[in-house]
Amino acid sequence: MTDTTSDTGKHQGPSLGARIVDTIIQYNFVVIFLFVVVIASLLSDNFLTFTNISNLFQQAAVVGVVAVGMTFVILTGNIDLSVGSVVAFCGMLVAVLLAAGVDPTLSVLVTLVVGASFGMSMGAITALAAVPSFIVTLAGLVSFRGLTYLLTDGVPVSGLPSGFSAISSTMIPLLPGFNMSSMGLIFILLCVVATLVLRYTVLGEYVYATGGNPEAARLAGLPTRRIIIAVFGISGLMSALAGILLTSRLRIGQPTAAQGLELDAIAAVVLGGTSLFGGRGSVVGTLFAVMLLQVLRNIFNLLGLGSFYQMTVTGIIIIAAILLNRFLDIRKGRS
Amino acid sequence: MTDVMNVSGVAKTFPPNVIALEKADLNVRRGEVHCILGANGAGKSTLLKIIAGAIRPTSGTIAIDGNTVQIGSPSEASEHGISMIYQELDLVPQLTVEQNLYLGQAPSRLGVLDKAKRRAGAIDALRRVGAGFSPDRRVETLSVANQQLTAIARSLTKQAKVIIMDEPSAALNEAELERVFEVIRELTAQGVAIIYVSHRLGELREIGDRVTVLRGGATIDTFDVEGTDDQTLVEAVVGSNRSLLERHERPPLSDRVALKVDRLKGDEGLDISGYEVRWGEISGLTGLNGSGRTSFLRSLYGVRGFTGQVEFDGESFHPSNPAQAISRGVGLVPENRKTEGLILDAPIYTNATLPMLKGTWAARHAERKRQTVPVLAQLSTKYGHPEQKTMQLSGGNQQKIVLAKWVIRGSRLLLLDEPSRGLDVGAKADLYDLVSKLAEDGAAVIVASSELDELYAHCDRIWVFHEGRNIRHFDPAVTDQDTILKAQILGEHHD
Repeated sequence: MTDTTSDTGKHQGPSLGARIVDTIIQYNFVVIFLFVVVIASLLSDNFLTFTNISNLFQQAAVVGVVAVGMTFVILTGNIDLSVGSVVAFCGMLVAVLLAAGVDPTLSVLVTLVVGASFGMSMGAITALAAVPSFIVTLAGLVSFRGLTYLLTDGVPVSGLPSGFSAISSTMIPLLPGFNMSSMGLIFILLCVVATLVLRYTVLGEYVYATGGNPEAARLAGLPTRRIIIAVFGISGLMSALAGILLTSRLRIGQPTAAQGLELDAIAAVVLGGTSLFGGRGSVVGTLFAVMLLQVLRNIFNLLGLGSFYQMTVTGIIIIAAILLNRFLDIRKGRS
Repeated sequence: MTDVMNVSGVAKTFPPNVIALEKADLNVRRGEVHCILGANGAGKSTLLKIIAGAIRPTSGTIAIDGNTVQIGSPSEASEHGISMIYQELDLVPQLTVEQNLYLGQAPSRLGVLDKAKRRAGAIDALRRVGAGFSPDRRVETLSVANQQLTAIARSLTKQAKVIIMDEPSAALNEAELERVFEVIRELTAQGVAIIYVSHRLGELREIGDRVTVLRGGATIDTFDVEGTDDQTLVEAVVGSNRSLLERHERPPLSDRVALKVDRLKGDEGLDISGYEVRWGEISGLTGLNGSGRTSFLRSLYGVRGFTGQVEFDGESFHPSNPAQAISRGVGLVPENRKTEGLILDAPIYTNATLPMLKGTWAARHAERKRQTVPVLAQLSTKYGHPEQKTMQLSGGNQQKIVLAKWVIRGSRLLLLDEPSRGLDVGAKADLYDLVSKLAEDGAAVIVASSELDELYAHCDRIWVFHEGRNIRHFDPAVTDQDTILKAQILGEHHD
């Protein structure tokens, strides 16, 4: 069971044992996730039930959808701090439109377009004026939250059509006895679609290339500015969708919603192994990290420990994960 | 005049067996401007770094005012009165001139800054270099020339007896350089010795008292600038019995012109006229650092803007970005393959096919691997499998991946900027064999290199660039290397 590294003399590639170790190390977040799941199931018999699993996905969906968009942004070496405010704005916008009697399909489409264009404008400023995205989206965070309050002067919007909650809360049978809420399913489907986009489209290749080495990408003729604008557009679009799901689930447009959501999303992306410097990472990692954080919350609730404990421990886990990834980088650099 | 510094028999070997400096001697007198002359790789910067305490010599001694001293660090050098002004001035741009002058040596009492004393010292140092600006100015708001003066003034606050200036003229225009020269003359009148490094003979004549020539890591000789003609100096720099690389037999040039450049003007004084490359030609660009070779290639690749008449393949050619240049069939192998040429984290085939993805939406991994594998074989690249990360390859094989990009793309004009940098001898030979083959297949190739040997062995024509202009061209089949070297150093004013 020992790690047989390259002392075998011939360069025939690593041995099977070493390759298994490498694979486990590369997908360490899966191992950690399974570890946490085992702990949770030992703590409570209710943990590994269909109902609880379905709940976990429903609760994780809003952050999860945002984190999928955030993964694209971080893969290019940028960051989007505005997502929490865009979620709140779009959640309010769709509520206002619906309460004003606009057709639900049209309301949703308008909201999605608005969210995407918010993202693209911030991306355009970042790419064309060469301003760090940290500052541009920090300004977005403040301004979009302000706009959210301006929409209704800070008053929540209620009285939405009853059918609107179907977007988030329709229970869809996957297995006999296993029903998944539609918003949980949307999150999973988005992860699949995003993985396919990153893996099998030119856009995906360009995203990794731009994050991996912007100068080399530009000299290879890649439209790097347009790629930056596109990933912020994707992030805005995902935030709009998350806002719609949130309003649909709460059945109310709440201008104070999603405060600090950007930090949860960034934490999940980084925890999932995506490099903050860009060029390396995956949506699969983000999916596992989002669920890991959700299971942790679940464990704390089962133990009866309040949110203060949750916040403290979540921070420690993020640091531990980053240190682990640093360690792996160094280990790889040596071999 | 007495010697302020004697360097004798200094050598530096980097493990395992790289000899950067074999045996250097340098004697500097009080109050003189002592110039250092030498070709790339002659050991100039190693010698200067040893004197300035940035690296320790393997053997040899340095004496200051007749006493042998050990210089183990820059601060020890500064205690002995030696101060070095680096080409990329080591000032902190956000701080004021006064703060920079006393960086790391601010006068203080019990940890409290003695501002009055610092102020007085700063004003005095600035007056001695004849600076007309306030010590309160932030360094980033100063012109390059005034920053240069600030750096010189800083040497004075350290009571420097010897000031080393590494190619100060590289970033200055003529008027600014004249200001710096005035300051140098005043300082030498006050007894400070200046060690002045420059490639340009004209400057040495204007400012220098004596000149020491280095070649191949050893001191060749020291001359009085007055009374030594250019020819003698150039011969000392170039040497006489150089080993001639065998010239490769090249097929006769075709008469079909691929690229024609006239009145091209661009950044940094780039001014190219009467330049052309035929199909199948390997055109070499040589010249000193800052002669415009890289700027020219980057202009042709659409990275930098330019004006003028450029025709490629019989049509006007004015790319405003790399994508346009690529679509016309131009490919660039940039100067630094790690920061500009490759995405080191990405698989080999991704790098090799990155320019191929335009206009499609599907990533087509399998097809791109199929395109990559035969080209890598054709370039005899050593690698494991196409999904391997590019950073795992050796330098020579990484460079082949950069080249493979343009072979796969079918580029017909290849711009190679210092393509052999960091490659060992075998990899260099390999690379030029490939370039020759690509040219035989009809591509036009422009190679910029500071290694004249390489250009001499492989090019059809060699152009000498000097201060942004293409001053002369040579046919290496009928010209010896020394003639070309002399043209590099002397510029256009000489035969």
